Amino acid sequence: MTVGSPGYDLIVVGGGTAGCVIAARASEDPGRQVLLIEEGPDPQPVPDIVADPKRQPELVLKSPYVRMYDVERRDGSSFPVLSGRIMGGGSSVNNLAVVRPMARDFEAWTRYGGSDWSYDALLPTMRAIEADPDFGDSPLHGAAGPLQLHRGYHLDDPADPPAEALIRAAQDMGLPLCHDLNVAEPYGVCASPYNLKDGRRQSTAVAYLDPARDRPNLTVMAETTVTRVVLDGDRVRGVELRTLDGTRQVVEAPRVVLAAGVFHSPQVLMLSGIGPADALAPHGIAPVVALPGVGQGYHDHAVVYITFQGTTDLREDYVIPKVRLIAKSDESLAGPDLHVFIRPSIRMTGLPPLLPVSIHLLEHRSSGQVRLASADPTDLPIVEPALLEHPDDVAAMLGGFRLVTRLTQHPALAAFYGPLLTPAPDSDPMEHILESYVTYSHGTGTCRIGPVDDPGAVVDPHLRVHGVSGLWVADASVLPTVPHANTNLAAILVGEIAAREIARS
Amino acid sequence: MKLAGTIDIAAPATAVWDVIIDPTDLAACVPGVSAIRQIDARTFEGTVRASIGPIDGDFTFRSVLTRADFPAELVVDVEGTDSVTKSRVVVHIEAALTETGPSSTALSYRATITTKGRMAIIGEMVLRATAGVMISQVTRCLRARLEATAP
Repeated sequence: MTVGSPGYDLIVVGGGTAGCVIAARASEDPGRQVLLIEEGPDPQPVPDIVADPKRQPELVLKSPYVRMYDVERRDGSSFPVLSGRIMGGGSSVNNLAVVRPMARDFEAWTRYGGSDWSYDALLPTMRAIEADPDFGDSPLHGAAGPLQLHRGYHLDDPADPPAEALIRAAQDMGLPLCHDLNVAEPYGVCASPYNLKDGRRQSTAVAYLDPARDRPNLTVMAETTVTRVVLDGDRVRGVELRTLDGTRQVVEAPRVVLAAGVFHSPQVLMLSGIGPADALAPHGIAPVVALPGVGQGYHDHAVVYITFQGTTDLREDYVIPKVRLIAKSDESLAGPDLHVFIRPSIRMTGLPPLLPVSIHLLEHRSSGQVRLASADPTDLPIVEPALLEHPDDVAAMLGGFRLVTRLTQHPALAAFYGPLLTPAPDSDPMEHILESYVTYSHGTGTCRIGPVDDPGAVVDPHLRVHGVSGLWVADASVLPTVPHANTNLAAILVGEIAAREIARS
Repeated sequence: MKLAGTIDIAAPATAVWDVIIDPTDLAACVPGVSAIRQIDARTFEGTVRASIGPIDGDFTFRSVLTRADFPAELVVDVEGTDSVTKSRVVVHIEAALTETGPSSTALSYRATITTKGRMAIIGEMVLRATAGVMISQVTRCLRARLEATAP
């Protein structure tokens, strides 16, 4: 069945972090009919388990709004990568951190996307996204954007003893105080901002989509799977979708933007015959546009937990820690490459308190991939993250391990942190790192930007899919390198860029 | 997740065997296990209580001795469910006893732990964090029980 009657001008596939931004911005023009399609549910009002940050562990561990992709380490053991499956996507289920990419991330992206992707070119957009009550309305920050920031803690506030101890120990190790981690090159002991308003999560479904929902030119379809992009030659004709009751139909529009995320944007492209020919053939999919970069170039952040015996119980907030360290794995580096968080204690009857510290490597020198498991759109794609495969990444993680062991031996923190337990002090920490790493769930790169003569590029610097007219990709998958930051704000930025580019088209 | 190691105990292999083959005896050495219930000669059930930050939960398990080749090798399979996410944890343990002297035994073990469900998100971090401490406490307890009674 083909449905063309509503006369949509734009279909946004995926109501995730970027998709909600695009749908809201695109529908600001009352002359443009916009359809937003999300595979997950769109519960109204937003359930408390999503909105209340105190319930975030429950949200991740118990709710139906998080999707797990089982991935393998090199030794064959597995761990999950997570994504959101609800309107707002990752911004509805993440840890609410609002962290900008660093200036050097933009510099890296200009090598693929040109000067439009520079820090200076995109700073006005970053300012327009946020309403920062602490630094807003300044050359670096905005005060009137849709995304409300909140810092529950400032570095000059009195903190509870573990946080005070962390700040003192880190300063003594040479890390400066970093009151604002959204400067061009943050470094040090940083107060963390979160997207919270009146104690409630500001996902892009709340901050962007909700104010636009009553517009007559915006249609929202939830619990609907886009099975492929429908092409007419090299031009987009619309999308084929399947609703919850199994009904399949084609909805027509001259413009389609895929914002289905780092796993599903490449999946939809490949199911539509757009991708590496040799990856499509095993699934009986006829290649329409040969783009070898689709699904390639996956980048993410590896995370390793190390655990100390605690001298006391530690209730540092799990979801919104007061401070994070933005640190260097090696003092000789030009800029930081790690996030470090102290975590609350693990308590088990009969055991002393155990205190984990998490080390997050913000760089990924090798590349993984996302590939089709089958031609069935409801089958999750296979994710091969290839984390910690490059020796420099392993060395950097090892540097993080050394940093944290030094940090916890500082007299201020030694009041809380006893001996190292995991990895065992007499073992090789490298083994622990390679056996136990997990992910920050910050995937990027599977539909990356680049010029038409770049064989790995999927979209041009304006986010248009190479070789197809009327088709864009706009989510974290277009970022050619993973930023030295959480990826939520970067995805919002991509959504804003896409909305601008589509409006110009 | 895989764990492996060797525990040296100053007791003959037969004495070590008698303790580790008895579910109640062995469970008494595992910290935090409560509500132990012996089902039959090879099976017991129990509960471990844990909290991670704001999450509190119980892990209820059933342990079955699936192979016992006196006095050298045994295989134990443990399967359990956590009360928070209803995830399933399956543990397969192979242990071997080697007499290293008239009254000394090396107990080597290899364990494979598989987590199915949401608990996989934090389960491995918790298991890795707790496994080392638990094993050292089990070791201390076994040594205390066996070496105290060794001839």
